[in-house]
Amino acid sequence: MKAPLIEMRGVSKEYRGVYAVKNVDFSLYEGETHALLGENGAGKSTLTKMIAGVTQRSNGTITLDGEVIDFQNPAEALERGIAMVFQETSLVPSMTVAQNLYLGEEKLFNRLRGLYIAAQQFLSSLNFNVDPWASVSTLGAAQKQLVEIARAVRLNARVIIFDEPTATLTPEEKHYFFSLIDRLRKRGVSIVFISHALEEALAISDRITILRDGELVASNKTETFDRDSIIASMVGRSLSDELFYHKRSDEEARKPGPKVLSVENLSMGSMVRNNSFSLYAGQVTGLFGLIGSGRTETAKIIAGVLKRNIFHGGELRFMGRSVRYRQPHRAVMDGIVYVSEDRKAEGFFEQMSIAENIYMGHIVTDPPAGGIASASTQRKVTEEWSRLLHIRAINPNARIVELSGGNQQKVVIAKSLTQKPRLVIFDEPTRGVDVGAIAEIHKVIQGLADSGIAVLVISSYLPEILVLSDRILVSRMGRVVEEFSPGEATEEKIMYAAVH
Amino acid sequence: MSEIGTAQAGGRATARFRVTQESIVFLIAVVFFAGFSILLPGFLDADNILSLIQNVSILGILGIAMGIVVIGRGIDLAMVTTMAMSTAWTIALMNGGTGPVSAVLLGLGFAAVVGLVIGFLVAYVEIPAIFATLAMSTVIYGFGRLALVDLDVIYLPEDAAWLRALSGQFLGIPLPVIWFAAVALAAFAFLRFTRRGRFIFAMGDNREAARITGIPVRPMTVLQYLISSLIAFVAGMITASLLATVNIRVAQSTMVYDVILVVVLGGIGLSGGKGGVRNVVVGTLLIGILLNGMTILDMSFTVQNLVKGAVLLIAIIVDSIANPRDEQTAQQGDI
Repeated sequence: MKAPLIEMRGVSKEYRGVYAVKNVDFSLYEGETHALLGENGAGKSTLTKMIAGVTQRSNGTITLDGEVIDFQNPAEALERGIAMVFQETSLVPSMTVAQNLYLGEEKLFNRLRGLYIAAQQFLSSLNFNVDPWASVSTLGAAQKQLVEIARAVRLNARVIIFDEPTATLTPEEKHYFFSLIDRLRKRGVSIVFISHALEEALAISDRITILRDGELVASNKTETFDRDSIIASMVGRSLSDELFYHKRSDEEARKPGPKVLSVENLSMGSMVRNNSFSLYAGQVTGLFGLIGSGRTETAKIIAGVLKRNIFHGGELRFMGRSVRYRQPHRAVMDGIVYVSEDRKAEGFFEQMSIAENIYMGHIVTDPPAGGIASASTQRKVTEEWSRLLHIRAINPNARIVELSGGNQQKVVIAKSLTQKPRLVIFDEPTRGVDVGAIAEIHKVIQGLADSGIAVLVISSYLPEILVLSDRILVSRMGRVVEEFSPGEATEEKIMYAAVH
Repeated sequence: MSEIGTAQAGGRATARFRVTQESIVFLIAVVFFAGFSILLPGFLDADNILSLIQNVSILGILGIAMGIVVIGRGIDLAMVTTMAMSTAWTIALMNGGTGPVSAVLLGLGFAAVVGLVIGFLVAYVEIPAIFATLAMSTVIYGFGRLALVDLDVIYLPEDAAWLRALSGQFLGIPLPVIWFAAVALAAFAFLRFTRRGRFIFAMGDNREAARITGIPVRPMTVLQYLISSLIAFVAGMITASLLATVNIRVAQSTMVYDVILVVVLGGIGLSGGKGGVRNVVVGTLLIGILLNGMTILDMSFTVQNLVKGAVLLIAIIVDSIANPRDEQTAQQGDI
């Protein structure tokens, strides 16, 4: 067999002590189509970004044609023929398709007509139905993706990396995309594509590599895999992880209390489509979904962070009352709080102390007498929640940025829980949190349900869903597609529902 | 220090840094003061010091209004225009025979409407504050010149003794200084001790987090511009009293940049969420001394503007180095 075109040996990527990719070997041969599979956070994107020079590796070696490479930025990688097509497009929205295709190659006097004719010919040669005159901002997600792909093809790359290329495409466009991949393969281009769609991977790839928790699980010819073995590799975990060891039975699950929230035919843009489900008091409802399944968007619509379309948005009923929140303020006052997945961007106030952060939530729903902030109430509230959530800090007036991720997350949670909610939505409550804090946060979540509050936990970590939920919902393509009781749910079943 | 201090309750390292930044400005102010006192004849004259303090008071009052807006991560470029037009209208009404109470109320009402409109544009129409206030400044000026006042310079009516008394003295202290102190104290209490003051800090710190926490960010934004417009009216009335005239051409001067200069120089970051009234006071001191000294030095208006512009630029550069805007690594997709 020929030597691989790109070879990674013992490559790791470390973010502040946390490994996104750990000691992975990966080979890409000339002219092969290589599928990269794994759960959210398995390290797929990070691995490919290291090849394309978007991020730099912490350890290990990467060779191209036997020569060690160390790209500092994507431009260097491109020079050597490695292009990456991102999940989030990197097009200039205000320019036309043709201008985007030829971005960076404009001549001093750009003959626009020639540019558009060339673009038109090029796009039709790829069978892409995109108008070169259209401004990119007017295109849908799928068409943007096509332009992005066309740009990579045009640059004559030897290696093209696609990050979730088909997530936004329609079946017809997917068909074109696969035939394009086929033609590229015949031209000797090597392709890496990251996907959640197992069928696609099985259908078009020559080889499959599976990552889990940043580590290599399996890498072999596609013929040696089938759907079940892939799913088993993707989710199989060592059960030594005690935190997530306990598998709940149906008997342990809490019985549903009164219906707190019902979502009917909720829609917004392309992310949420006719989503319907209900949440009950005194229960933890787990919501699992892969990226792009619309779970965060759905949660944000419920909490008023995003506004849904007034005509086609569907209906939300909270405590039996039809509601449509334009701002989170009303939702919070009604008792719906949302704990964001991104605590730095949407969670805490970084210039404030722990106490001020927690108290900020308190004074929204519980205005102090005369509108005067009370130092003693602030102290009392902070003490109470620091005790309940085991927030560890030298002193409550320390700035929140000085805390560890787990303690920051606890402060953000405390800020929301002081608002006396009736429905709490946790979006990835333990992302970037140390193991000890995970256990404590889980305990808090269980405690909330025990006290009769409706809890929705969104997570892309299957064991977390399984260990917490009294009821499991699976979201795919903008809607809840399946519901499991804890007894019947297994990682395989959930994953199967999420990807098909 | 009070436990509910918002900006100052930071960790020790940052607290030391902040004190340093503030005290550097304060130190420079002291150096300038000493230098001018020695080198410039007439600088230390009682008359000059008096006028320095008075001029500084107006700037300081406007600076406090601007400070409240900037802490909430906004900016009000229409402030000086609002000040000139609302005051000019009040005085013009009085000259036209309207009673002082209704004239003042109408002027105050005009300022309030301006503040509400700007707040609406920024909070609900979601126009960036810098453009909304810049455009509104022109609109207010044009509207005022067209419909409210027909002269550029309006003199105070002869019989308005109470108006002149606004800039008198109390126990030897010029009243404008006392007004400045009063506005500063009120703003200090508002920002530090009230629920809404807290909200303004939260919005400037992290607007999205503030929104998700349930803070009514839109009404709060309107409130900020309402406050700043009302304070501008107050500053306008004091100016009118001091100068015995209202010159609406001040709206087209660089005064609003002086106000921003005071705020930024004092250490209120333009990225919002930090600082307080103390910063405005320190910034006001330095700018006041600088402007007064340059006037005595008989620097031309052009040179003065050049110096002010340069100082503002330096202050903003230092600000952006000391308080870098959030450099969030955009972690899109999964890792």
